[in-house]
Amino acid sequence: MITLYDYELSGNCYKLRLLMSMLGIEWKTVPVDFYPGREHKSDWFLKLNPLGQLPVIDDDGFVLRDAQAILVYLASRYDPAGTWYPREDPKLLGEIGQWLAFADGITGTASAARLHDGLFYDFDVEAARAGAHRLFRILDEHLWFGEQEGRDWICAANHPTIADIACFPYIMLSEEGGIPRQDYPAIRRWCDRLKRIKGFIVMSGVFPAGPARAA
Amino acid sequence: MLDTAKTRWHPIAASSDLPFRHVFHAQLLGREFAVWRADDGYVNAWENRCLHRGVRLSIGINDGRELKCQYHGWRYSNRTAGCTYIPAHPADAPARTITNRTYPAVERYGLVWSAEEPVDEVPAVSGLAEGDLLVLRGIPLNAPADLVADRLKDYRFQPSGRLDGAEADVTVEAAGAFSAALCSRDGDAATLAVFFVQPVDSGRSVIRGVLDSRLEGAERLAVLRHHNELLSKLRDTLERDAAQMPAPAPIEPVIERVSPELAEMPEATPHGRKAAIRVQVARKWAAADGIAGFELRPIKGLLPTFQPGAHIDVHMPNGLIRQYSIVNGPGESDSFGIGVKLERDSAGGSSCMHETVREGDVLAISEPRNNFPLRRDAVKTIFVAGGIGITPLIAMAQALKNQDLAFDLHYFAQNEAQLAFPERTGTLGMALKPHLGLSPEQTGAKLREILSGYRPDTHLYLCGPGPMLEAARTIAAELGWPETAVHFEYFKNTKVIDDSSSFEVALARSCMTLTVPAGRTILDVVREAGVDMPSSCEQGACGTCLATVIEGEPDHQDVYLNDAEKRSGTKIMTCVSRAKSARLVLDL
Amino acid sequence: MTQPKCQDPVILNLWHPLAAVSETPAGVVAETVLLEERIGYAVDGAGIGAAWRSRRDLPAGSSIDVAAVADTLPAKIAYGYIWTSLGNPPDDLFPIPEYAEADRRRLNAATMGVNVSAPRAIENFLDMGHFPYVHTDILGAEPHTEVKEYDVEISVDRDEILATRCRFFQPMASTVSTGGADVDYVYRVPHPYCSVLYKSSPVDEARLDVIAIFLQPVDQEHVRAHMMLCVLDDENEDKVIKRFQQTIFGQDKPILENQFPKRLPLDPRAETPIRADKSAIAYRRWLSQKGVTYGVIPAAS
Repeated sequence: MITLYDYELSGNCYKLRLLMSMLGIEWKTVPVDFYPGREHKSDWFLKLNPLGQLPVIDDDGFVLRDAQAILVYLASRYDPAGTWYPREDPKLLGEIGQWLAFADGITGTASAARLHDGLFYDFDVEAARAGAHRLFRILDEHLWFGEQEGRDWICAANHPTIADIACFPYIMLSEEGGIPRQDYPAIRRWCDRLKRIKGFIVMSGVFPAGPARAA
Repeated sequence: MLDTAKTRWHPIAASSDLPFRHVFHAQLLGREFAVWRADDGYVNAWENRCLHRGVRLSIGINDGRELKCQYHGWRYSNRTAGCTYIPAHPADAPARTITNRTYPAVERYGLVWSAEEPVDEVPAVSGLAEGDLLVLRGIPLNAPADLVADRLKDYRFQPSGRLDGAEADVTVEAAGAFSAALCSRDGDAATLAVFFVQPVDSGRSVIRGVLDSRLEGAERLAVLRHHNELLSKLRDTLERDAAQMPAPAPIEPVIERVSPELAEMPEATPHGRKAAIRVQVARKWAAADGIAGFELRPIKGLLPTFQPGAHIDVHMPNGLIRQYSIVNGPGESDSFGIGVKLERDSAGGSSCMHETVREGDVLAISEPRNNFPLRRDAVKTIFVAGGIGITPLIAMAQALKNQDLAFDLHYFAQNEAQLAFPERTGTLGMALKPHLGLSPEQTGAKLREILSGYRPDTHLYLCGPGPMLEAARTIAAELGWPETAVHFEYFKNTKVIDDSSSFEVALARSCMTLTVPAGRTILDVVREAGVDMPSSCEQGACGTCLATVIEGEPDHQDVYLNDAEKRSGTKIMTCVSRAKSARLVLDL
Repeated sequence: MTQPKCQDPVILNLWHPLAAVSETPAGVVAETVLLEERIGYAVDGAGIGAAWRSRRDLPAGSSIDVAAVADTLPAKIAYGYIWTSLGNPPDDLFPIPEYAEADRRRLNAATMGVNVSAPRAIENFLDMGHFPYVHTDILGAEPHTEVKEYDVEISVDRDEILATRCRFFQPMASTVSTGGADVDYVYRVPHPYCSVLYKSSPVDEARLDVIAIFLQPVDQEHVRAHMMLCVLDDENEDKVIKRFQQTIFGQDKPILENQFPKRLPLDPRAETPIRADKSAIAYRRWLSQKGVTYGVIPAAS
């Protein structure tokens, strides 16, 4: 059984809940009082992750940290169809790696702005917002041309990958950091598509989509 | 200085920004819009705030027929933007006038155009032929629209057939305050590019470009990328320059106040038997054996919002007025569908509709009224229809189906040929349960079976011939259904009305006392005294002329109120019912 | 005396919360923003707090003797928070008698920043109709959407709004039963920017849990929301109780931040109330009667 060290309002923890739900795997949760308790800096947690960051999983004794790394692990181990992280397709793996790094950039900007506004972190919020807008412009352009080419997802595949999961949460939560998505229509449409993937679940701050039109 | 004229058309989106089941977030001159395409293709452009608590509708849900607000689940209809359901009060029909502010939305040149108070049509653009165009990716940017439009005149690009060149000659063919038409020529290749600058706010814009020829495949993508790259560079320069200028104050759009009656929770809005709307019979067909279907389209403008269970008065060429339920599903707001059964003993109503009224004829109808509102907070809803009584229940069943709520529709008819509107009932799947050719005894037994095992939070809706309704209500009562869970609508009141009494009516709010003599109704007398009273069927069946009794004992003669309501003595149908006491005090 | 940025005397003369005492290190200066002004504050281990307009000689992070700070604003420790005022506040803060009951758990669930005016946040706190849509499967679930009739009064002697007989269907209403049931609520608004909610306790039928929201107006369109819990629960760890409340508040956040205008319009014709909004209607009238202008759009007179 997978144990997820989890904080409800964390977009990085949500990435894992989302993928596990879409993969149909069960997990149990150990709540970590990230705020206000700063339990991720407590002694017991630092033994799990010396970086003092969420999320962490424990899969029958195998302990792993870092949201993107855990996505790679979960998809590689628990996706029998092998579509979320297609191990046999080097180009696609390269692309996924590229966008996982991009997702870290989103965390460093959009998530930082949200932590500033919501939880009073002492960050340069204007720089964080400007950085997020720069990334969102790049992603919106990428997704718009994807639509023109008949591609619905971030990577060149006819199905979503963990790159989509990695980018999604802090984009959806960006308004909590004062970053509107009005100027990114292709991102907004991609968010709707992602919300319609079977097994999708919400977190606080993310609303579900309505049903798609019957084909 | 930015021209903020509200009469001017501007693009607010690209057509491709509006896939089905999506809500686009647009803004023009400071005002935000929620723009969404219904499943029937209609593009709605609404002010981006729910009238209830100001929440942006762009975070709401487009279910293909209605837009649902994320905060309290209020539903607003395609086209009319009228509220059709308020979940906090499931037993009430929302006041029809709760309507979001709508704006025109016209698709032209691959773009969606709007304006606050437009004059004329979307302007024709010379050189652009509808349907044979390439719409570029819109480029949002943080710079004022007038600056952007000015700089676009210096935009340089290659014609579509010659992207690898660098020698193109670009001329300005036309330029306006918010547009520039540029022609790029290189050798024998020439491309016209028309750019529209959408003034989002005082300091924000979107560049929307359209090219004069459609392309396919790789060439199309290459051209799209060519312009995206050049326009992105232009954006970067413009944003740098705009950042050097003093930031203009954002435009503050005026939010219109809601109508005064909506400021307080309104009672049903008063309206008499008015033939307010003119419609044309767009289609007349055999909806079933002996039942004519009519599709009624407005002569001009939009039809008002309807709710499932609502009926309209139809004013016929022969002067008669009849009530018919609207069969439409949610969001089907371009026409009203009704079904008319030819009655053997027709007094001229149904025979007129069947024999005289034809496609193309113009009829007058009333606004829809809903005295048979559908609760949507039931764990399970059971509909029981007899014959033409199917019509309001079809509308209800489609509404529940759209929301994925549980229901069964039991449809009693003589034979299969008499099952009306199969194209609608066919969409209900297993929930549709026809019962054909049953005798009254068999019908009773079947009803007993359907209504057995009452469970809380189940609701029953009945519509059909009087004897069947009586039977169903009796059986439901015997099987433990509380009256509050049994809802019904009679076609007509077949009781013999005894109007021999005479009594006094005091109108509490109007401060007058009137005498109702034998042979006249409360409704007549009250109206004659100048008090506005709505009515529709005027035979005690439809529920429109309901009044609240403050004092006195009513003599109920209607078929609208249920027994508990009648016993409580607090409501009266003023078109047929009278007083047992010498005096009634009404809240009018 | 510097001119305050906020020009609303009603709001200036109120007590406003600044921070949870449990999250403020004793004897160390902290800073926050209240009514557009930077405020320094500190608490000591003995239940004394001090607050002042931020100044150079008391930088954030420095250690001080709280009792010895001069030239301070009024300060008070109550319900687990330090409170201050930029005007002349009344002696006492509104009462929450249950806070003194010994067997209750008293926690700050969280202090969170929200981009909305304080009155919009209060109205959302009073609202039940959104439970099935915003707090789906926790505080409500479709199709149980009805807001049943309840009573609202403005108590003259206590100068507060009281909504009673409130009930709403809650799935998994108690820890002992699996099905849903109606849960009882009582709402108080004893302060323009504070509200106290009483809710059926899942562990003791005869008593009520107390959940309060104290809003610190950073400016007219930004608040710090302090969520106080005073509940009967001897099973769950603090962090589990906090997680629940943060989940709920996190669900309200995107609604609040998507309300337009952000300030609460007091003109009765600005929005469309329904019967379920009785408490909100009373709240808007009460703010109008008090003459509150900060965080609202006053009705044109």
